[in-house]
Amino acid sequence: MPRLAPSLFRQARKQISPFAPLLLPVCRTLDSTANELRWIKEHVNSTDSLVPRKLGIWQACLKREKGIPLQYILGNQPFGPLDILCKPGVLIPRPETESIITHLTTLLPFSSSPLKILDLCTGTGCIPLLIASLLPSTSQTLGVDISPLAISLSRQNLSHNISLSHLPLSASKSITFTKSDIFSPSFLSSLPFSPGELDILTSNPPYISPAGFNKNTERSVRFYEPKLALVPDVNLGKGYDCLPEDVFYARLLEIVSVLQPKRVLFEVGDVEQARRVAEMVVRGGELKNYAGTVEIWRDDPEGEEKERISLRNNGEEVEVKGRGNGRGVYFWRKDC
Amino acid sequence: MLAAPWVCRSCVRSLRRIGFSQQFLRRASTDSFKLPPALLDRARFLTAEHDQLTAQLADNFDEKIAKRAGEVHRIAEAFKKFEHAKASLRELEGLLKSDDAEMREMAQEDLAATNEQLAESSRNLSVALTPKHPFADMPCLIEVVPGPGGTEGRFFADSVFKMYQAYCANKGFRTKVVQYLAADSTGEKGGDGETALQEAVLEVMEEGAYAHFRGEAGMHRVQRVPATEKSGRTHTSAVAVWVLPSFAENATASDGDWDNPESDFYIDPAEVKSEKMRASGAGGQHVNKTESAIRLTHIPTGITVSMQDSRSQHTNRADAWRLLRSRIAQKRREAREEAARALRSSVLSSAQLTRGDKIRTYNYGQDRCTDHRAGLDVHNLPDVLRGGDTLGKVIDAVHGWLAEKDIQALLADEEAAAAAANAPGKGKKGK
Repeated sequence: MPRLAPSLFRQARKQISPFAPLLLPVCRTLDSTANELRWIKEHVNSTDSLVPRKLGIWQACLKREKGIPLQYILGNQPFGPLDILCKPGVLIPRPETESIITHLTTLLPFSSSPLKILDLCTGTGCIPLLIASLLPSTSQTLGVDISPLAISLSRQNLSHNISLSHLPLSASKSITFTKSDIFSPSFLSSLPFSPGELDILTSNPPYISPAGFNKNTERSVRFYEPKLALVPDVNLGKGYDCLPEDVFYARLLEIVSVLQPKRVLFEVGDVEQARRVAEMVVRGGELKNYAGTVEIWRDDPEGEEKERISLRNNGEEVEVKGRGNGRGVYFWRKDC
Repeated sequence: MLAAPWVCRSCVRSLRRIGFSQQFLRRASTDSFKLPPALLDRARFLTAEHDQLTAQLADNFDEKIAKRAGEVHRIAEAFKKFEHAKASLRELEGLLKSDDAEMREMAQEDLAATNEQLAESSRNLSVALTPKHPFADMPCLIEVVPGPGGTEGRFFADSVFKMYQAYCANKGFRTKVVQYLAADSTGEKGGDGETALQEAVLEVMEEGAYAHFRGEAGMHRVQRVPATEKSGRTHTSAVAVWVLPSFAENATASDGDWDNPESDFYIDPAEVKSEKMRASGAGGQHVNKTESAIRLTHIPTGITVSMQDSRSQHTNRADAWRLLRSRIAQKRREAREEAARALRSSVLSSAQLTRGDKIRTYNYGQDRCTDHRAGLDVHNLPDVLRGGDTLGKVIDAVHGWLAEKDIQALLADEEAAAAAANAPGKGKKGK
């Protein structure tokens, strides 16, 4: 990362606030420093505390200087129309996830019966909550995560958003979160969905490779967000013939082949990974129902931009939609 | 031997040359259905085009042709219905002349129904054909200003103002007197309790009022013996009437309904390019950006809005849309006000306040009101000045005239466009 000019720090102090130089190394530009400082001030001013306001702001800025994600300091992250609570130990919802999930909901046909939705590796629960808030109809939704911290936070998020009336009261019954290990052999039998009846399966699993974690991640991510949610455990890859960062997709596709959901959306790290996952879908033995429906979505899947890339195994082509980095792999059962 | 003792030879010749009697007959037959000939010509032309297009579509489907065919379909349909009704009316008229009494009776029975059908189809046709004025749906302001000359014009201005006020009251239009400035100098009273008026503005708050009163704009001439005149000579003076679309209320009311394409705040989402401004490189779980800035570009106008104030991408997007909407609405309103200003100066600039370009004459001596454009004479002037049905008749006649004018302008425009399309090379060189 290029060094910031000392003049920039002087400018920050002069133009924005004496606190601004603390935030500058993390924010990198004066504009975003001003924005973050404003958000911190708003947060401190809106919370009751025994700590004097100025001190509160200073403390928050000191935390932010160390690289602690702003969402952990402020305790929340807006996600679509929702307000998602964030706590250390659980992955912070990303705007790209918001984009692709919002796009997914625009593709759903209206159904009068409740949609059955399963979200694996749910973390804060942001994906199922967003789907539930954007769908006009009710749903029967289950979020699964291995981390007890994540499960308790996702339940908190559910009640928090109901109390803010971002979600209807009925959501407290229709949305549930359970702690479970998706790799355990008994996982599939523990699910309340029978094969073929699931409408949507989503997942934002850990997808960063161990090397990529050391090289490509931001400091605040590397030091302060849970590695459990970012990098697949090396031991998990033993039974699978794939790269270590793709292990979750291999397992997710096993689950797909059993549950046969109507629509599936996985978040991925980049176009290369998306291509590998698409190849796995095309190659998969029990996934014939999904052949030819695979799409790769970029960060902004809306819009006209489209291109086609060919897969390596059999020269089949898949469509890449939107702008930005490769972000999602979407496929649907051919009979729906 | 001619019946008249002497007729100018050139007059006789000119009568023969234009086929006066024939033209008169054709006009008379169409006028009875209140359709101007230009309108009928255009309908005939479009129907021919529609038939041609559908024939083309039967051979091979083309999206452009299909679109155009869809546009003229309504007109062709209405015209065919109209022609059908006219043909059956002609047939019935033939039957009426037949010798068989029973046949005549039958025809008589059907005649009323057919006439009704014809009236309806002609109404449909004229609605389908007439181009809509861009301000047609708006409320309007009627400004009455006396022309040059003495107090007589001022007195009559008051009469005109009261005439419109009464007319609106009779029609049930909501009105508001925006301004009523009496000339303070004289203090004398005209006939019928008229006060000398300097300027008066009446707002008609009904939607579509502009379309209704548009034809009233112009110079209104009065010929009468003024109440102040002692020797009993008839004076001629004039009053200028301006009709302007009224925006103010409309603009604030439409703030909420930006889904309505008529509204200033409406934006076609297809015309907006939306971008998320974020750094290149890995995203998703790799980074944790706190900002989610949105930039919207309205392609037709090039207006760009970017928003990054909120942490929520959702809110930023909503705010950006709101800002873009209000900026575009502002621009549109400015353009429209500019157009209205141009309209105002074209209708009547103060230099043009002469008695020459009169549109209507109120002649007290002959108890007559004449509209010079529609070529209509009505009597019962007191009823006109009371804003009664007689004035309604005049206004309706003006509507017909305006519609014909609009159609002619449209035809001229289309011809010009066709000529330009046929000779694109020339057009380029010309520029």
